[in-house]
Amino acid sequence: MSNEKFVEVKNLRKVYDNGYEAIKDVSFSVKKGDLVCLLGPSGCGKTTILNMLAGLLFPTSGDILFDGKSVVKTEPKDRQIGYVFQNYALYPHMTVLQNVMFPLTVGKNKIAKDEAEKIARKYMELTQITDFANQRPGSLSGGQQQRVAITRALVQEPKILLMDEPLSNLDARLRLKIREEIRALVKKVGITTLFVTHDQEEALSIGDKIILFNDGVIQQDDMGQNFYLEPNNYFVANFVGNPVIDNFEVELKDGKLVGSDFAIDLADFDQDRFKKNLDEGKYTLSIRPENLKPVEHGHLSVKIEDVELIGRERILKFEHDNMQHRCLVDLEQPIKAEDQVELQLRLDRAFIFTPEGERVY
Amino acid sequence: MKQNQTKAWLFLLPTLILVTLFSIYPILRAFLMSLQSGSLISLQWTGFSNYQYIFHDPEFWLSIKNTILYALISVPIALAISIMLAWLIFSKVKHQSFFETTFFMPYVTSTIAIGIVFRYIFNGDYGMLNFILRIFHLPAPNWIDDPSMSLATIIIFGIWTSLAFNIVILMGALRNIDPNYYTIADMYGASGTQKFWRITMPQLVPTLAFLLTMNIIAAFKIYTSVYALFNGQAGVGNSASTAVFYIYNKFQIVGTPGVAMAATVVLFLIILFVTFLQRKMMKKIGGQ
Repeated sequence: MSNEKFVEVKNLRKVYDNGYEAIKDVSFSVKKGDLVCLLGPSGCGKTTILNMLAGLLFPTSGDILFDGKSVVKTEPKDRQIGYVFQNYALYPHMTVLQNVMFPLTVGKNKIAKDEAEKIARKYMELTQITDFANQRPGSLSGGQQQRVAITRALVQEPKILLMDEPLSNLDARLRLKIREEIRALVKKVGITTLFVTHDQEEALSIGDKIILFNDGVIQQDDMGQNFYLEPNNYFVANFVGNPVIDNFEVELKDGKLVGSDFAIDLADFDQDRFKKNLDEGKYTLSIRPENLKPVEHGHLSVKIEDVELIGRERILKFEHDNMQHRCLVDLEQPIKAEDQVELQLRLDRAFIFTPEGERVY
Repeated sequence: MKQNQTKAWLFLLPTLILVTLFSIYPILRAFLMSLQSGSLISLQWTGFSNYQYIFHDPEFWLSIKNTILYALISVPIALAISIMLAWLIFSKVKHQSFFETTFFMPYVTSTIAIGIVFRYIFNGDYGMLNFILRIFHLPAPNWIDDPSMSLATIIIFGIWTSLAFNIVILMGALRNIDPNYYTIADMYGASGTQKFWRITMPQLVPTLAFLLTMNIIAAFKIYTSVYALFNGQAGVGNSASTAVFYIYNKFQIVGTPGVAMAATVVLFLIILFVTFLQRKMMKKIGGQ
């Protein structure tokens, strides 16, 4: 019925027994059939939220609704969820088939063995693990184990699939492949999926939408690209993007943003992008490395310390105010280390943050 | 490579010397002595007469029968009780370390000391066991002085004393099981029994195989508990004699080391055979 808010979290709070407040008033909703990534650095509370959705943890306050109904008091087994653990938690003493069948052979959902096997085999076909049906998980590769874990989570035909960093045990190349597979699979099954990760690239590539957490608070709840182009605050701007954003400490004085060795007229900025009138004082001017252009006469002059090649682009590294900065340029740029370079800031793509992290431009 | 070989042997040498001196040599010596007769200072070769003697000695057969019965009854019961208690402590009890320590106490206490305490517990007239049995109007046999009860008495005692080690090892094994296995099972609503039989037991198989081997070997070598319970005797009229007791008796008391060593070799072969059989069995269970 409520497809827009298939999963809804309202003012969720979690305080652990030791007094640590892991989640502070978090609210968000997930559309039916969407794949949503919960992104954030380690310890930001994303797994805590997932565990509360699964019913493994009880929220201190707030509500969780699945399809419009509160599930806070519902047992995990009655929530119609599938859960994939970071380490997969496959039973090593069972074969792949037995692992996949497990949810159908215990508890109140227990069904006849041959029927269970039929359902299990149907999903195993879907995830292409039929070939190892009689092998033990120990003899499978990480990617194959991953697929077994997902298949096991799917056999009960849950409404919601929860995945806790399911790719972190795989090597880099496999991770790329599996994340595409996971996306294709959950879309094929049409299941609403919440996917926890600390890897922004993973989140950007796989998620229909990303919810970025830090310190138990949602920093931004948005489509992937907006995290990069329109970050909500200083944390988001610095968390998302590789190489990381360049930050310059500036002070607003007489209508100019004054840095240690440069000054930019506020009038040069795109006036439509100001979110409010700025008072005089300290600010952070942030700009993505690709929006710093080497030119003849730019905003600031720097000495390049190192040049790094990353495929089709080059990163020029320089120090400014004792902080490492980066500038992303084309491969053809002839600039070498030790060169003195003038840099132009693309002000219509820059951001200005208050010392508290609020974005004002 | 060659140099490494030499070095490796050099590092192994102390162990090799000790093992040869205290394990391999005694085994060979025992085997040789089983073919000799006479007292320790004047041994003569007699061929297989010692073996002939023990095979015709009813006391030897009684000892072997007692030992096998003891092993076959006490080991499975002790293991079953250990699993039950360990699982109970692991899944239900809050102050695990306290109980673990309590259960481990018998292991660090001398069997002789425990045996003396159990002599009081088992006493037919004023023992605690019979006191409790009488409360429930159950028959209260004379555990110590009735020859027909001696084997039952040492079995009960054996079960009790082997619990400590088993429980501690099993607790360790239980703790090693990934808690997520249970979380997943909970999520699908598996009952406690289902979790125990589908997850816990299969995960315990390697540990159980180890404990079974250790317990069986220990059971075949039972001596101290018999000595302690029956005040240095093998029960009334040697009714609770065991293989090791027989060996000790023939060696020290009767003074026929050859006969004792023949019995030792037979016991050695029995233990070897049982261990081999049981390893095969566990492999089959583990492979399923």
